[in-house]
Amino acid sequence: MSAWTVFLKDLRLELRTKEGFVTMLVFAAAVILLFAFTLGAEPAPLRSFTPGLIWMTYFFTAVLGLLRMFGREKEQDAYSLLLTAPIDRSAIYLGKMAAFFVLLLATQVISLPLFWLFLGVPLLASPLAVAVIFVVTDLALAAAGSLVAGMSLRLPSGETFLPILLFPMLTPLLIAGTKATGAALEGRSLGEWDFWLMLLITLFVLFVLAGTFFFDYISEQ
Amino acid sequence: MLAFHSRLRNKVLLAVVLTAALVNLWAIFRAPLVPDQELAQKIFYYHVPLAWNAFLGYMVAAMTGIAYLVSRNSRWDTWSLAGAEAGTIFALLILITGPIWATPIWGRPWSWEPRLTTTLVLFLIFVGYFMVREFGGYYEQSSRYAAVISVLGVLLIPWVVLAVTWWAPEVQSHPQMEMARQPKGILRVFLFSLLSFTLILVHLIAYRRHVGQLEIRYLTMKAGGINA
Repeated sequence: MSAWTVFLKDLRLELRTKEGFVTMLVFAAAVILLFAFTLGAEPAPLRSFTPGLIWMTYFFTAVLGLLRMFGREKEQDAYSLLLTAPIDRSAIYLGKMAAFFVLLLATQVISLPLFWLFLGVPLLASPLAVAVIFVVTDLALAAAGSLVAGMSLRLPSGETFLPILLFPMLTPLLIAGTKATGAALEGRSLGEWDFWLMLLITLFVLFVLAGTFFFDYISEQ
Repeated sequence: MLAFHSRLRNKVLLAVVLTAALVNLWAIFRAPLVPDQELAQKIFYYHVPLAWNAFLGYMVAAMTGIAYLVSRNSRWDTWSLAGAEAGTIFALLILITGPIWATPIWGRPWSWEPRLTTTLVLFLIFVGYFMVREFGGYYEQSSRYAAVISVLGVLLIPWVVLAVTWWAPEVQSHPQMEMARQPKGILRVFLFSLLSFTLILVHLIAYRRHVGQLEIRYLTMKAGGINA
């Protein structure tokens, strides 16, 4: 399984340097703290816009992480070596996507409680639902992000391209993720937000298919 | 290579496009008013055909984009670029005419009408597309990336529509649907306007494609060391 090898390679690199993880974690914590300052100290019940804040934080965090993960391949032209390996290009995409998903999820496991601590977001209202939504949204985010990062990595000023190309494409994902998270935090039953969950799953499937199909074309020399 | 309008068929196309546009303008002036919207409704003769054709242009961009990815023939790439450019001009005009209509009718220029919001998202995706075209490095790479972005953008349309529609169900309003229920005098003018704008799109795409092929010719001549 060549995708598995790429996945392990990226994860091993990350475990040794902890570069992406620390960057993402510190960034997320700083943003959450800034949000807390702008919104005021008094504890409030779930504000209507907190799910949006949560996901905006993690969308920006994800861009930072993608830049680290794919930017690493630029050093000493490692990416060209990776491309010369006798494996499917799609395997590189899937491996990187999986590694980034793990990285993003790990960041969230540690930084998400800060939303509860600083802003009083009731994360434990329905923990299972929140966990499912985060896993699915992260998968879709990783799928779209890895595809666009794979492109912008090769562009002359790729760092600026990544958010510009990625964010408009993530509009449906952001809407679905925010709506589902909001409903779950309010403790509503699955029947009221399963539409959003299905949209999240659909977007994940769409992005993964697009990624595996197109990565061949975008990673040509 | 000859100038675009020096060929007879393109001259005929231009003449038809211009005639249709003038007749369209005259017909829109003459069309009866819709009772509760008065003059504001007239912009729909522009707005809806523009929307129709913007998406048509993007479809052309995506489909020829796939053809380019598969065949690597730069002919397809010039089609794709032409479709994307024409689509984006129309999308920009949708984003302008929509709020102009909404200001007197809904009381504010932007009320998150689902299809207008979808157009904005798509417009932003294609702004990224042109940035990649412009700053995306050498020709083959930027063309490939642009093709991928156009396909992704078009694939995402239904999901954006779905998400935006359900995101704020209270702002849903579908004035366009009512077109079909209007008296004949209005529907006929509307359909003619649709035809007229489709002709404009066809002409724009054909013209832009011609220019695109000249550009490629220039690039190859330059690469070959010929003074172009």
